Amino acid sequence: MDHIIFEIGTALLLVAIAALLANKFNFSIIPFLIILGMIVGPHAPSIGILDFRFIESAEFISLLGRIGVLFLLFYLGLEFSVGKLIRSGKSIVTSGSIYLLINFTGGLLYGYFAGFPLLEILIIAGIITISSSAIVAKVLVDLRRTGNTETELILGIIMFEDIFLAVYLSVISGLVLGGGTTLGESLMSILIALGYMLTFFIVARKATPLLNRMLKIASDEVFIIVVFAALFFVAGFSETIHVAEAIGALLLGLVFSETDQGERIEHLVIPFRDFFGAIFFFSFGLSIDPTTLLDAVWLALGAVILTIVGNFVAGMIAGRKAGLSHKASANIGLTIVSRGEFSIIVANLGIAGGLMDILSPFSALYVLTLAILGPIMTKESKRIFLLLNRIFKWTTIKPKTR
Amino acid sequence: MDLREVDLPGIGRKFEAVTRRGDKVVLIVHDDGRREVHHYDDDDFDESISSVTFTDEEARQMAGILGGLVYKPKDLEKIELELDDLVIEWVKINEDSIAVNRTIADLDIRNRYDISIIALLKADKSKTLNPGADTLIEKGDTIVFSGERQHVRAATKTLFSTEGGG
Repeated sequence: MDHIIFEIGTALLLVAIAALLANKFNFSIIPFLIILGMIVGPHAPSIGILDFRFIESAEFISLLGRIGVLFLLFYLGLEFSVGKLIRSGKSIVTSGSIYLLINFTGGLLYGYFAGFPLLEILIIAGIITISSSAIVAKVLVDLRRTGNTETELILGIIMFEDIFLAVYLSVISGLVLGGGTTLGESLMSILIALGYMLTFFIVARKATPLLNRMLKIASDEVFIIVVFAALFFVAGFSETIHVAEAIGALLLGLVFSETDQGERIEHLVIPFRDFFGAIFFFSFGLSIDPTTLLDAVWLALGAVILTIVGNFVAGMIAGRKAGLSHKASANIGLTIVSRGEFSIIVANLGIAGGLMDILSPFSALYVLTLAILGPIMTKESKRIFLLLNRIFKWTTIKPKTR
Repeated sequence: MDLREVDLPGIGRKFEAVTRRGDKVVLIVHDDGRREVHHYDDDDFDESISSVTFTDEEARQMAGILGGLVYKPKDLEKIELELDDLVIEWVKINEDSIAVNRTIADLDIRNRYDISIIALLKADKSKTLNPGADTLIEKGDTIVFSGERQHVRAATKTLFSTEGGG
């Protein structure tokens, strides 16, 4: 009667083919999976036993996608630590602040002048501000730029953005999901979200010895059960007090990262993050009706241009302030311009909160464009720099003397 | 030589140096075990002119060579002759190594090369100090041993050799 496993098997098969293709072209899988998701769906044909509409399994796939978000953010929490940020130094904080100031403000103004209400503006600004850690790290490694001077700064800015994302998601999830209609109610939701966050920070600082003892489990089998139970329980509980479940996962990751077992959990989670994350990107594409894409073309295009200019300017200022050359500084903006997983997560929050429908096609088009264009700009950064240098005359290029 | 160390969050750790002769070299130790060596243009320290990627195992072998473990530069040999005698080496056992699924006694390296095996590290990071002769060696294990340079070199060669050549 039901072929749900077969439907999911079909979906996974398509996901696998898309991932293989992405790998073949040495590209991030994110844009491929979103496009795949948009191609199939309720409007797609059903050929023989192969049903590309995914009607029966739609709910299940979206649940797997939701789990993907949990793992993505749980991992983000596990990865970052306050110690790392302090060690990374002043130039990171300065550059991160410059980046956020320019791009977040730009995002807010863009949403405002495009005529959106407040919540939509906040979501749009979030989508525009946060770079894709996954794509940036992949591109840097692929292009063998890990050794370059500017790479430290790029990764520092990315880390700074991630922290911003954590706080920002908590705040807007309170606003969007709290459903407050008056200013007082909205403030209350924000306070609850921030208070919840603070609780986790205190637990991370004070209860680490206790957690160390609780997590000291030799058996990998029992360990994974305990960790995942904590993850799903905390994430689910957060939802009940109108804090996005993803935030619960992120905060728990943060707490765990302070324990002795942080690294072990990190290793354990990576395959789950990769698998469920992939389904999340597919499921996000599935939720987009391709016929609505046209409505958002201009809005997305404007945001793309704003992002490219904003990131480039911010990278230039941050790089020069940190004492890098013009060429290295240009590389910063041309690298952090890629958008991906985090922009979709922010967009998803808005969609889950029942905000305006245009957010779906807008975020899909925006992320797709910058997930594809971003890495290309990074690769061609030298040529772009030389071109811009002719206009702005930053440095005189010495002819090679060899 | 000035050596600068810095974390690359999400990627690994970076070591940057400008040698006495003015070459800029950057070493990246990736979290997944890979090592990258980048060499930069003498006139433009922003421009990488070449780079090499090593696997964890290759990197260790190269490190031994760079460190003078395999072949000591002639000029230095005389000066450090007294210190030179004892070295410590570690070898990760490949799946096609002749050592796989044999005990230390089977290999007979202690007697054949006059070295002492200090420790055996399993792939799951558990370690045995001063392992007994009946200790079984499996693929992925790391053997730590010490002895005179020539003996250590011979033993390393044996452990790296494969079934056919052994």
